[in-house]
Amino acid sequence: MSGHGSGQKGIGTRLIQAMALAVTFSLLYSATKLTPQLEGQLGTVAGIGFLLLAGTLLSELLETVGLPHLSGYLLAGIIGGPEVLKLVDHHTVDALTPVNTLAIALIALAGGAELRMATIRGVAKSLSYAMVAQTVLVLVGMTATLFGLARFIPFLAELPAKPLLGVALLWGVVAVTRSPSACMGILAQTRAKGPVATFAIAFIMSSDVVVVVLTAVGMMVARPLIAGSGGFSLADMEKLGHELLGSVSFGTTLGLAFAAYLKLIGQRGLLLVLLAVGFGLTDFLRYVTLDATLAFMVAGFVVQNLTAQGPKLLHSIELTGGVVFVVFFANAGAHLNIPLLQKLWPIALTLCVVRALITYAAARLSSHLADDEPVVRTWGWSSLVSQAGLALGIGLGIAKAFPAIGEGFSSLVIAAVAINEMIGPVLFKLALDRAGETRTAEAEVSRTSLLPPDPA
Amino acid sequence: MSGGIAVLLGLLVVAFVSSMLVGGRTIRGFGLPSGAEYLVLGVAVGPHGLGVLPRSMVLIFQPIFVCAASWLAFVLGLGYILVGRRRVHLGRALVGIVLAAMVGAAVGGALWLATGVLDVVQGFSRLTLAVGAGFVGCETTRHTVRWVAERHGARGPLSDWLADMARASALVPVLALGVLAAVAPHAPLTQFTPPLRVLAGLGLGVVMGLVAAVLLAREFRRDESWGILLGTTLLASGVAMRLGLAALTTLFVMGLTLSLASRHRLEIKFMVQSTEKPVLLPVVLAAGACVDFDAFPNLGLIVAIALVARLAVELVRGFLLSVFLPSARAAGPRIGLGMASTGSMSLALAFVLTVRIPGPAASAVLLIAAAGVLLGELVGPAELRRALDRAGETHAEDADDVAPLSLRHSALGSSDFPEPPHSDAPGAP
Repeated sequence: MSGHGSGQKGIGTRLIQAMALAVTFSLLYSATKLTPQLEGQLGTVAGIGFLLLAGTLLSELLETVGLPHLSGYLLAGIIGGPEVLKLVDHHTVDALTPVNTLAIALIALAGGAELRMATIRGVAKSLSYAMVAQTVLVLVGMTATLFGLARFIPFLAELPAKPLLGVALLWGVVAVTRSPSACMGILAQTRAKGPVATFAIAFIMSSDVVVVVLTAVGMMVARPLIAGSGGFSLADMEKLGHELLGSVSFGTTLGLAFAAYLKLIGQRGLLLVLLAVGFGLTDFLRYVTLDATLAFMVAGFVVQNLTAQGPKLLHSIELTGGVVFVVFFANAGAHLNIPLLQKLWPIALTLCVVRALITYAAARLSSHLADDEPVVRTWGWSSLVSQAGLALGIGLGIAKAFPAIGEGFSSLVIAAVAINEMIGPVLFKLALDRAGETRTAEAEVSRTSLLPPDPA
Repeated sequence: MSGGIAVLLGLLVVAFVSSMLVGGRTIRGFGLPSGAEYLVLGVAVGPHGLGVLPRSMVLIFQPIFVCAASWLAFVLGLGYILVGRRRVHLGRALVGIVLAAMVGAAVGGALWLATGVLDVVQGFSRLTLAVGAGFVGCETTRHTVRWVAERHGARGPLSDWLADMARASALVPVLALGVLAAVAPHAPLTQFTPPLRVLAGLGLGVVMGLVAAVLLAREFRRDESWGILLGTTLLASGVAMRLGLAALTTLFVMGLTLSLASRHRLEIKFMVQSTEKPVLLPVVLAAGACVDFDAFPNLGLIVAIALVARLAVELVRGFLLSVFLPSARAAGPRIGLGMASTGSMSLALAFVLTVRIPGPAASAVLLIAAAGVLLGELVGPAELRRALDRAGETHAEDADDVAPLSLRHSALGSSDFPEPPHSDAPGAP
């Protein structure tokens, strides 16, 4: 997720990038052909290098046709991944799980740090209407859609109405999920500033709390419907309360610790601290059943709004994330299950189109009620189409909790998220361009000399 | 929390401490020019000590350590032709390479004979031990000269000679590792003969260096540059590892190519130099944890022979310098002992050798490299200072301005930018 996309580059630079990309592909392709028996650990390092380099170069080349960098990263992963050229094998894709963990932690931290109280106050009315409209309409609409389309979906076709309603409700919960990573990725690349960007970041980051609650409630309601026995359990609510309060408390403490570090030591060594926190604390939070995304988001929010260290934290995350996010999204591309997508694309595409339409309608309604400015009315919905890791995580969690429908449900989630993952960022980037919020001035790009002054 | 994550966090803590020390704002007042304390720490936490860092755990992270060692070689290659902002003098560099090769050949020869007499290893293992221990440890760490120069205000023609020779000497062990990896049995690239394998490793480095150079040629932005540098280095080292080549050699060549081909060489060098210490110390720690004292019988004797041979041949090097180099005449033959300091690269190379050619011979090479670092620590800086004193190149009054001995100046971790004020450096007297 590099923030350099706006600089104009000539044909010579693009040709060089295309040639370097060809060298990258052919080098790893030759190595794979020369030593086909050596997969696994030895291929991991080359795989990471390939994803990073090919992702960076492809994103630069796709920039010429107006596509966001995220699309380039994803495409590099898809082409080089285990389903197409097989340059990156399944072992490498799995081995990069820690990078995903780290990226999600950094995205949540950055997202929280981008949420300024003044900004939230400014869009509070908009945000409230949009949150209610998007949550209710998407949840109800997608529940009804899946219920209606069930006979076209193999694993649901024979299901009786009651359990079907439960599954449809869970689908609705997954549909409410947005993608903080895609939003942050596009905003970091374009450095967009304006009402659409502000609305997007405020909505998507705060919707994380709604999603956590909704997932717990949705699973609580769906369980008796799908299992056909039992009732609501208050234990689930207790667990939810513990998770939310615990995550907020932990996040606040972490945020204060970050602020103290930044004040006392500064940015030196912060990169390693972020790495350690991203790897270690996520694991720890999972162990104590707290929501890592929420905790990191709160930490970022605390640093930004309760201390004066926000800009330093954001700067450090930007430096660390630049490389981590390329690998994260390229790996997401490599992770795409192309054969599954080929099998399920008609129904998955239908569900995605309906979700996008409901999102659009809900945005128009909420904008009308909140009396938003025209640019938000027109483009505010565009950031809400993307889905990525968060939706996958929730979908796979649901599949695990309900093994009877697990395999089919997770397959459909993966296929739908794959489509939204590819289309969503393009839509958001297009909207920001049209809204005039992307900055193209070369001066915005940091180009200062990296050299220290000559001692002479 | 899994053991893997725990070790990863431990390594990040080591890297964090190292990065804090780079700035020199925290701990001052102690530290060794070779950074041998981290090596000792590695031995202490390894299986022969407390057992906190078992070898199995190091094995899990082996590819990461090899990547880290390769990155160090890349940084070394990037700065190979530069001392500060000036280019290394070609003549001095050639002398440095030849003398380092002489040291390597002499120590290797001694070990070849000793292992034959003692009959501890045979065949390719014997060759690995002789060539590995001889050549892997034949470099003189570039940081020692700088360390002495900084602490004692040394400057003059002899200091410049020693700085250039020390920097150039790194080429010999790096190439030796490339050759050893290429001739090792069971190499994955069975289609190629060993010379072709060596060339493949070097060619890969050249190609990726050129790719990085052209990508960084037109624009130079920090975020783009990091992506390109990390991408190209990881791809090069990953492909080299996959093909059974020495990733470290490939990356050294890549760094050297980039340095020769890019007009942004100084900016790139400045950008990556801050990573050297945070990357290095975990590698040294891991190398320490992998040291095996029981690789084969009579190992202690073999180590002693290697060290004695090294000191003896260093005296020969010193003699040659004092005879043929006018500025070294006053310093005398003992100046050779001042060149006995080995450091980060020797350890990294030996560690990579244990990964590429696992077995008792490579373990012995690692032990000899570790012992060499400690011996160099005892002998090198002190002898160098005395030699420069005799040559009249230390300036005691200037030394007062120098910061107290600290890890900031540790040879294992010192950044080499900007360099000490060599007499032909810009602005130097």
